Amino acid sequence: MIIELKDINKTYPGAVPLHVLKDINLQIERGELCSIMGASGSGKSTLLNILGILDTYDTGEYVLDGTLIRDLNENRAAELRNRLIGFVFQSFNLIGYKNALENVALPLFYRGIGRRKRNAMAMEQLERMGLADRAHHLPGELSGGQKQRVAIARALITQPSIILADEPTGALDSQTSKEVMRVFRDLNADGMTIVIVTHDPKVGEQTNRVIRISDGRIEGGEEDA
Amino acid sequence: MILAIFDTDNWREIGATLARNKTRTFLTAFGIFWGTAMLAMLHGGALGLAGFMARNFEGFATNMGAVIPSTTSMPYKGFNKGMWWSITVEDIDRAKRMSAKMDLVSPLISRGGTAAYGTKSTSANMNGCGPDFWKIQQVNVHAGRVLNEGDERQNAKVAVIGRNVSDELFGPDPQQALGKYVNVNGLYYKCVGVASQKGEATIQSRVDNAVYVPLGPMRTAFNMGNKVDFFVFTAKDGYKPKDVLPSIRRAICAGHPIHPEDEKAFWVMDVSEMFDVVNTMFTGIDLLALLVGAGTLIAGIIGVGNIMWIIVRERTREIGIRRAIGAKPRDIIVQILSESMVLTTIAGKAGICFACAVLHGADALTAVPGHAAAGFQLGFGTAVVILAVFLVLGTAAGLIPSIKAMKIKPVEAMKDK
Repeated sequence: MIIELKDINKTYPGAVPLHVLKDINLQIERGELCSIMGASGSGKSTLLNILGILDTYDTGEYVLDGTLIRDLNENRAAELRNRLIGFVFQSFNLIGYKNALENVALPLFYRGIGRRKRNAMAMEQLERMGLADRAHHLPGELSGGQKQRVAIARALITQPSIILADEPTGALDSQTSKEVMRVFRDLNADGMTIVIVTHDPKVGEQTNRVIRISDGRIEGGEEDA
Repeated sequence: MILAIFDTDNWREIGATLARNKTRTFLTAFGIFWGTAMLAMLHGGALGLAGFMARNFEGFATNMGAVIPSTTSMPYKGFNKGMWWSITVEDIDRAKRMSAKMDLVSPLISRGGTAAYGTKSTSANMNGCGPDFWKIQQVNVHAGRVLNEGDERQNAKVAVIGRNVSDELFGPDPQQALGKYVNVNGLYYKCVGVASQKGEATIQSRVDNAVYVPLGPMRTAFNMGNKVDFFVFTAKDGYKPKDVLPSIRRAICAGHPIHPEDEKAFWVMDVSEMFDVVNTMFTGIDLLALLVGAGTLIAGIIGVGNIMWIIVRERTREIGIRRAIGAKPRDIIVQILSESMVLTTIAGKAGICFACAVLHGADALTAVPGHAAAGFQLGFGTAVVILAVFLVLGTAAGLIPSIKAMKIKPVEAMKDK
């Protein structure tokens, strides 16, 4: 079991508190390719943020790869994100003034790996994504699909336990979306655990399990695709 | 684990960040540049001004006093007030005996006149002085020597002539004047030295335009008996001229029908007091320079802080991305502060260099041949302190927005547009 959530609740405070996640119980096995689907405002992104240690939960218990994720200070949270999780975002979230190689190598910088070694590792990942010839291009010089593949290379470079992807095809055309999903499937075939948040049924169809979330609750039937 | 400071990517990134918005970087750098330059120039300028002033007093004993006779203001021993009296050689000897705090003393007699040699002549003050005079007012000796005890004892008819007088009578080579007999007000004196003044401050007349002879021949020449015009003296180390005054008053009153409490019978010029005033003034100028400089510095630091706020605000999303992929708060703070420190160091050093160039120019402009430089300069230690203060404050100014940025959750930061 790589992810285990028990009775997770999350409320955003405010004049009218918003209870976005209600008693979430979820287990994800190592090597799974699953998707979390739901309508806008259903709480799927909040769930992904909690899974990615980008946000905290109020009650319950979250265990990631054997580590209880609770009351972590910022340094420990950053260390776990760097070590265990690879993120892929809808808007790619590449740093605009760094070229593809530097973007991919950046997580290794925060791990304290020297420039030469991290650049070699980054180039290896870019080659794996078929982007070796784009290594020294800035994100602005790449197509949407190429940007997302750079983002995937960046997510993979630390050899994480899990990849969390938030609407990874949301900003891509259908052909490019297929290419990106093929990359995810290939990675999953190699044993990588991947969780994709999406509202696109076509993306959901390509995963092994669809977790439906509605009004902050996981719907009864977690279905196999 | 390698430190970010040794990582070339980190430095390239700092360069790239600063280069991305050239105008803003330039304006921020200019603020720091101007702040350091102003602080350095004001400090160096105040030092130079003090040096410039001190140069005027070069060679001039700063603990000197002069006693000049006047008319009495109180009747005493049958003499009405308003009596004229003169200082005598005996008064001075008595004062010297009565005051253990007095160090050097020299009577002075001064008369206008003409110095001539051969067919050439020039107007020159003729001064009679004691040998101590040359210790109270040190001079540049261009040829020969100054007057000494032997000249005084022997009533030698010798003279030290001023550099301008020498130039007029003997041409530019002062050696030509030595051993020549110069006609001063109709009497011949053998020239034993050519001298000029070190600073601008003078006793009675400018050394360069005067002829100095021993006191004895001077009194004889003008039929003055034992009288002198006035005398100058210095106090011993640790004392001020005013400490010597009571003994001088007693010595003078002992030889003349002057009431012991008659404050107006003679007046005393206390040069040390004038120096104290000048020194206080320059302490004030230095303080003012420090205040103005500190004000400029604070303005520069506020500028840096302001720009750092903008930079952090603009890069909120980037900070969120970095944190999502594993950057610790310390990594982000170090990155932002590195930019602030690089900018402060480069611009600050440029400001110091500019200030040094301006001060060097001021020193060159105020240079006078034969005199020490005024001292418009910045000490290495001071430059380092100014830079260090700017660096520390500039870093502190960048620290606040960095810490503020750390309080935004990564997920919220990434949503920032």
